[in-house]
Amino acid sequence: MSAEQTYWDDVAEGSEFSLTENMSSQRLVIWAAASGDFYQIHYDDSFARGNDLPGIIVHGALKGMLVGRLLDEWCGDAGRIVSWRVSYRGMDPADRDLQVWGRVTRKYEHDGEGRVDVDVGVRQPDGAETTPGSAVVALPKR
Amino acid sequence: MAELTDLTDEMKAAIGTSGPPATYEVTAQAIRTFARAVGYRNPIYYDEAAARKNGHQALPAPPGFLGMPIFNPFAERPRGGPQFTSPFVRALNGGSEVEPLEQVYAGDVLEAVTTLANLELRKGRLGQMLIRTSETLYTRTSDGAVVARTRGTGISY
Repeated sequence: MSAEQTYWDDVAEGSEFSLTENMSSQRLVIWAAASGDFYQIHYDDSFARGNDLPGIIVHGALKGMLVGRLLDEWCGDAGRIVSWRVSYRGMDPADRDLQVWGRVTRKYEHDGEGRVDVDVGVRQPDGAETTPGSAVVALPKR
Repeated sequence: MAELTDLTDEMKAAIGTSGPPATYEVTAQAIRTFARAVGYRNPIYYDEAAARKNGHQALPAPPGFLGMPIFNPFAERPRGGPQFTSPFVRALNGGSEVEPLEQVYAGDVLEAVTTLANLELRKGRLGQMLIRTSETLYTRTSDGAVVARTRGTGISY
C-alpha cells in the first residue's frame, strides 16, 4: 500500500502528522545490520551500563531516518523531500514507543512549486522531545 | 581529561580539506534491509515489480539511504573526512541533515567525499568538547550526478 497523497492546497500552517514505532532490541539489531553501525551500546545491555548509560539506547541515525520515512510517506509518490535535519539532543532507551511527528510551520511557493516548511521531532511516551529538527518538502498542487 | 586552550595547528589546517573518496554500493538487498529497519510499508522498496509499476527503473532507495561502504577486512576502513590527532576519545552523534538531489536506485555505485566544514571547542555538560561539522557529497559513478548532500555534527569529548 502506498501512502495517501498529500496535496499542497490541502495543508495549512499548524497541520500535524505522526507515526509511532516501538524501538525493541530486535529493531535496533535490524538497524545495526542495515547501517553497519555495530557499536555495542545499542544491543549489549551490560556494555551500555558499563558506559554510564541506563541500558541500550536507540541509534541517533535510526531516529533521523524515521523522520525521513514520516516525510516520505506524507509527501507521497508525487511529492518530494527537499531536505531535513535533526539534532540528537536526548537519548532514547530501547523498548519504548517513540512518536515521530511533523508540524507545518510555513506554506509558500518556490519557483511555482508548492512548498512547506515543517518542524519535526521524536517524542518519548512522557512527551519529552529528544530529536528536534526541521524539513522542507515540495507537495503537488491539485 | 585533556584541556585545549585553542584548536591545534593540525586541526586548523584540516578545516576546509576533504578526505579520500569512499565507495558505497547500493544493492537491492541493502535497500530492503534499510526499509525493514526503518519500518517502511511501501512495496516499492521491497518488490521490483511494484517499483516498476510506479515508474521506477529498479528498487528505489528510501530517502537518506546512500548505500553501504564495501567491507574488506584486508583494506583500510573508509574514515569519512580528513583525519587529525585529537585528545578527545569518546564520540557522540550530534545531528544530521540530508538533502536528496536525485533518486538513488539498486545497482548504483556512489563515491562519497567528506569535507571538514568546521571545528570548534566548547564547554558543555560533558566538559570540554570538540564540535566537528562536515559535509559529504555523494556522486553516482555511472553518470557523475551528485545524488545527495549530507551534513553531520560530531561531538567528541
